Order: sequence, then C-alpha cells, then structure tokens
Amino acid sequence: MWKEIGKFGKKLVEGGYLSSHFGNISVRVGDGITVTRSGCMLDEITEASVVTVDLHKPSSLDLIASSETIVHREIYKKTSALAVIHAHCPFAVIESLLNDTSIEPYDSEGKFFFHEIPIVTGHIGTKELAQNVAKALEIHKGCIAKGHGTFAVGKILEEAYVHTTMIEHSAKVKYFCDLSKNK
Amino acid sequence: MPHIEKLLEIDLDTEKIEVKKLDKKMTSKYIGGRGIGVKLLFDRLPPNTDPLSNDNILIFATGPITGTVVPLSGRHIVVSKSPLTGTAFDSSAGGFFGRELRMAGFDVVIIKGASEKPVYIEIDDGDVNIKDASNIWGKNVKESTSILSNNGFKVSCIGKAGENLIPISSIMSEYTHACGRGGLGAVMGSKKLKAFIVRGKKEIQISDSEKMKKYISESMRLLNASPVASKGLAYYGTPSLVNLINTMRIMPTDNFRKVHFENAYKVSGEYIAENYDIKKKTCYNCFIACKREDRKRNIEIPEYETIAMFGPNSMNDDIEKIIQANYICNDYGVDTISAGNAVSCYIELEGKKDIEKPLKEIVEGGPLSQGSFRYSKGKGKEDSSMSVKGLEIPGYDPRGVLGLALSYATSNRGACHLRAYMVGPEILGKPKLIDRLSFSGKSGLIQIFQNISASVHSLIMCQFSSFALSEEEYANLLSAGVGELYTSEEFIKTGERIYNLERLFNLRESMTYSEDTLPGRFFGEDGISKEEFNSVLDEYYTYRGWNKGVPTMERLESLDLKNEGKFLCGKK
Ligand code: SF4
Repeated sequence: MWKEIGKFGKKLVEGGYLSSHFGNISVRVGDGITVTRSGCMLDEITEASVVTVDLHKPSSLDLIASSETIVHREIYKKTSALAVIHAHCPFAVIESLLNDTSIEPYDSEGKFFFHEIPIVTGHIGTKELAQNVAKALEIHKGCIAKGHGTFAVGKILEEAYVHTTMIEHSAKVKYFCDLSKNK
Repeated sequence: MPHIEKLLEIDLDTEKIEVKKLDKKMTSKYIGGRGIGVKLLFDRLPPNTDPLSNDNILIFATGPITGTVVPLSGRHIVVSKSPLTGTAFDSSAGGFFGRELRMAGFDVVIIKGASEKPVYIEIDDGDVNIKDASNIWGKNVKESTSILSNNGFKVSCIGKAGENLIPISSIMSEYTHACGRGGLGAVMGSKKLKAFIVRGKKEIQISDSEKMKKYISESMRLLNASPVASKGLAYYGTPSLVNLINTMRIMPTDNFRKVHFENAYKVSGEYIAENYDIKKKTCYNCFIACKREDRKRNIEIPEYETIAMFGPNSMNDDIEKIIQANYICNDYGVDTISAGNAVSCYIELEGKKDIEKPLKEIVEGGPLSQGSFRYSKGKGKEDSSMSVKGLEIPGYDPRGVLGLALSYATSNRGACHLRAYMVGPEILGKPKLIDRLSFSGKSGLIQIFQNISASVHSLIMCQFSSFALSEEEYANLLSAGVGELYTSEEFIKTGERIYNLERLFNLRESMTYSEDTLPGRFFGEDGISKEEFNSVLDEYYTYRGWNKGVPTMERLESLDLKNEGKFLCGKK
C-alpha cells in the first residue's frame, strides 16, 4: 500500500498541489488507517514513511502519524471513504480566504462534479476541524479548510487524487476569472 | 407523491384481496424494490419455511422512480425465498411491466397462500381479480403471453418449468424479460399462479419535478459520455463482451476448467452484427436499447451471460444453437445462466459435447433441472458444480477478476455478478479502472459496491446505469423522486442496511459463513491462493462489522436493525 501512497504523493508534489513536507495521504485498510507519517516527504515515500493506526481510536502510533490523522480518522468514521488526500493547493487556499462558506466553480467540470465546494473552519489538527471536514464530506467529494488546504475522498486513491486536482483547477479558473472581471 | 406506498395483498388460499398502505418509516428506510421486498419477507416468513409450500410469499415490487421520467427506470423486482438456494432472493426484470403495475395503481404486491386450481391475477386500473387459468396451464410463455396480452395488458407469467416446480425456473415479462435467477418461477408455480397481468392509466408522480429535471440532465450527460453505455452496449448489446472477456482470459470455458475459448469470435457480438439482420429492442425509457432481435425470425439474440454459458463454457461455437437454447429457456421459463451452467456441468460429467440433450432434460424436469449442485451431488461429484450457495456462477472466471471472486463468495443470494457490479471497474474500467488481478483494497471496495447495488436495486434503476452514475447521482434522483433528502452516504448506508437484513434472513435459516466461499476448482496453484482469499475475507468481515459472517449487535444497532437481529442473542 505504501507504494500506491508514494505514487500519488509524487504526483501531488510534481503537480504543485503541495510542497514536499506538507499534506498527507491515507487509505483505509480494514479496521486500520495507513497514513503518511508526520514530517515525511510525500515525493520520497518509502515503507518507513507510512504507519497504520487504529480506525476507531487514537493510540501511541498516532504520535508518529501525520498531525492531521485526527481528521482522516473522523472522515473514515463518518463516511464510506476508503482513501483521503489532504493537500495545500495554492488556489484553493486563496479562494477559501476570499469566500465565506463555499465556492461555486465556474468551469463546466467543476460545476458538474462539485456543484459547490464547501469551506470549513477549524485549526490544524483539532477536533473542530475534524468534525467540520467529516460533516462536509458526508455530502461532498471534497472541501477546503479555510486558509489551510483541501481534503478530498475517494473509493480508491486515484479518485481522491482526481477530486483534489479538480478542486484546485476550479479554484484557479475562478480566481483568474474574478481577477479579469475586476480589472 | 412521496415514497411508494400502495400495497396490495392477495391470499390465494382464501381469495381475499386487501389494499393497504406501506408504513412511511419503512419505505424511507428501505426505499423500494429489493429493500422493501426483503424487509417484508423477513418480517412475514417464519424461519425454515419450505419455499414451495403455501406458506412462502411472493412479492412483486417497484421503486419510487419506476416508470417515471428517469431514464432506465422500467425495472420491477420479485422477492421470495428461493427454492434453489434457500436464501432470501430478489430477481429483477426490465421491460414495461413495472411501470404498468404502478399505472394500474400499485407499488408492491404480496401474494400469499396457494390456489387449488390454476389462476392468474389481473389488475385493470385498480380493479383486482383472481381469474381461472385452466385454459393456459400447460402452455409455455410465448403462447400464454400472447393469449393474455390482448387489450394492452402487460404480462408476467411462467412456462412449463415453473408449473413443474423446477428450481431454476424464471418469471418472464412480456415474452423475453426475465426475473431469471433463483427459481422464483417455481414459487409462482407452487401457488398455481400462472400469470400476473396489469393495465392502467394512473399517473405516476414524482415529488420535485424541477429538481428531477436537473438531476436527469446531469445523469444523461454522464450516461452519454460513457463509451460503455452509449456506444458499446448501444452498438453491439451485451454480446460485445464476448471478445473482450476472452482476450482477458476470463472466459468460462469447458465448465470453468479453462479461461480462453479458441472460437470465441464465432459467438461474439461482432460476428452477430456481421451475420444477422439485427433489430434493437429496449426497456421503458432507455436510450441505450441493449436488447437485440433477429429481424427475420423475430427471435431474441441472447445476452452475453447466456452466450458464455451455452457457448464457450459448454464447448460450443455454434451461435445458432445458443440462439435456440435461449429461445427454449425463455419459452419454458428457465434461467439461462443456471441452465447453461448446468449443461456445462453435464458435459463435464458425461463427457458428451452436446447442449441439446441436457437442455431437453432440464426443461422436461429430469435430474439436471435441479441445478448443477443437486445434479452433481446426486452423482457424488459436487466438485463439478460451479456454484456458490447453490446458485450457478455467471460468465466471468473469478480467478482473473479477484474483486468479483470475493463478491461471488460473499453474495447473500449466491454467485451473482450484479451484487457488486465489478464488471464495471475491474473489466471495463468504469467508473475507474481497478487492478483486477490484485486483492489489494478489494475487501473495502466490495462491501461498498454491494451496498450501492442494494440501493440501486431498491430505487430501481437498470444496473447498466452504474457504468456512468455514482451514488451521488442515484441519491439525487431518489431525493427528487420522494421529496426527502438522501445524501450519497445515506444512499450507501441504506444499501448496507438491506445487505445486512438479507444476511440476517440467511442466518435465521441456519446458514453459516462456511458458505462464503468459491468452488474448490478456483483455488490452488493456478488459481487463487486459499490463504490470501481467507485473509481478504476476514478483512471484508471487518469492514462489514461482522464476526465470521455474523453481524455484530453494534453494527446492527448503527443500521437500526437491532430488533431484526435479536434472534442472534444467545446463538453460538
Ligand atoms: S440498458 Fe438494456 S437492460 Fe438496461 S434498461 Fe436499457 S434496454 Fe433495458
């Protein structure tokens, strides 16, 4: 599984969706969550870069897991997601700061697949953020934590990756459209 | 108009006819079709009821969007305890019958008891009658349908196979649309019920037309964009799968002893398109129109599954013989998958490469008509039965599609490719391509796809819609149909509830997890590692919140099934 996580970690960094040390990726494996470790470089993942933590409750292994594991866990508990990607997509972050509760994509794919992309609040690694993100993902395929980054889900990692890139694309199109309009 | 609600109960013992309303809370929790059917079956059927006794019940059900403006919404479903598998069983058919039933004024019909003499049920725009069927008893589907379909009635009936209680018999709607699997035709025959005919003019309503318009346009866009739905199926019909499945080396061949058939081209969709003058046929409100007919003879071109079973799996490359076999099965009212698979089993055991003789034995009620499991067991060779829980395996060799392998094994109704329709992701790459030769990640995926399918079968939409639509589109269509918000998650959870209730039904019938497996032929050096299979099965149970195939009380509580699971307390 770490190879699959590594593959998408690399793609995310190369695509500019996050910088190497930020963001995190996980997949659900039975009653566990295999998640990237805190401080690991997502474009250089090895077997030692991931850790499997309990799905239901935190344990000592959480200490070495990504600081956002609390959010991943809450998502898996509240939804049927089997893969989660958290990325610091720049345009998504900008749009989350320019809008209040959601952004409505202008591009046809974004409009079609997302209708709207919710913006949620809560500080990094907190229960509040975990609950707000999980709640949004009960209905949506992805959301943006205000000023922080995207959380996207899928049945497989590829799907979560596609959702992440689509959110960023929609945010980018919207940003430049709004910019041109306001000139 | 909110959820489905109009319930008709007919007791053939007493000829009592009652019109009732379905409980709103129940319809909200189970949607319709398969969900409502299994709930009614669970509540009303005492454990260990003989499926062919008066006590079994037969449920015809539609869903909240059946027969509406929603595309691919013409299906209806029949639910009962199967005489083939002994499990809760649902079997659905396309066509127009479901829509007509709703226009005739009813969403769900429960048939209880059994008549002493042959009868048929007629619903004429709300007016229900039990009528004498002595003049059609003993006739096959074609003749019976043509007699009963006068004046615009839509007909569901059984042929001689159902009358003779053959446990692989089907219920046929409008000649060729089959509620094929599980032998529910025999349940109908045991009630001396030859046919069920409906006609009506009532309007079928949906709750929010504006929203529905929007969701339909979104769904149509996805369906049109799906090459499988809008091109492959629309162009060649399901036989388009023959060459593909053969190339992937997952074609059931010689009773699943091989995975590749040399002469597959001669029974393929391409061959049929080149050599036959084909007329397209469709179900209600479907632009795909995947059904095919030979224009000259007005005879149906078989579906992929039928071709796979009577063709490569029976070492037969003569498409004409398959067309004839399909015609005979439909006319006698026999499931083509089970019959074809049983023929393949016969060929293995008898060493004779002839599909005509064993098929004759099936439709005339010989030992092979009992299905491949009972037949081969009778010969002390049950290892030659390619079935799970007694239900014959359809046209995909599980060794080369590992998600499907797990899905066959864990299906509540036995080997079925539609419980988690992995043909989409594992074979056709729709909606996303998933590695078919790896078990990695499959346990989680299978249970989700099983849950989604359970809800789709309750909605009810044609399974082929899933090449393009996801739980989100289904949830939207359902929400607009019933005027109550279902999120994607709720749609999946409803499916999970239905799946667990079916499992509870089977456990109440004393089934155990030992039946969540595949025939021994598929394991071993050239096949699936038993060890790996067992480990992925354990992982699947973990996802499901089951302990050795039995739902935990905690999981049942979370699905609001605590009461239904009470019988498990104290059971070891
Ligand atoms: S795709 Fe085929 S089976 Fe499905 S509704 Fe259309 S015609 Fe019927």
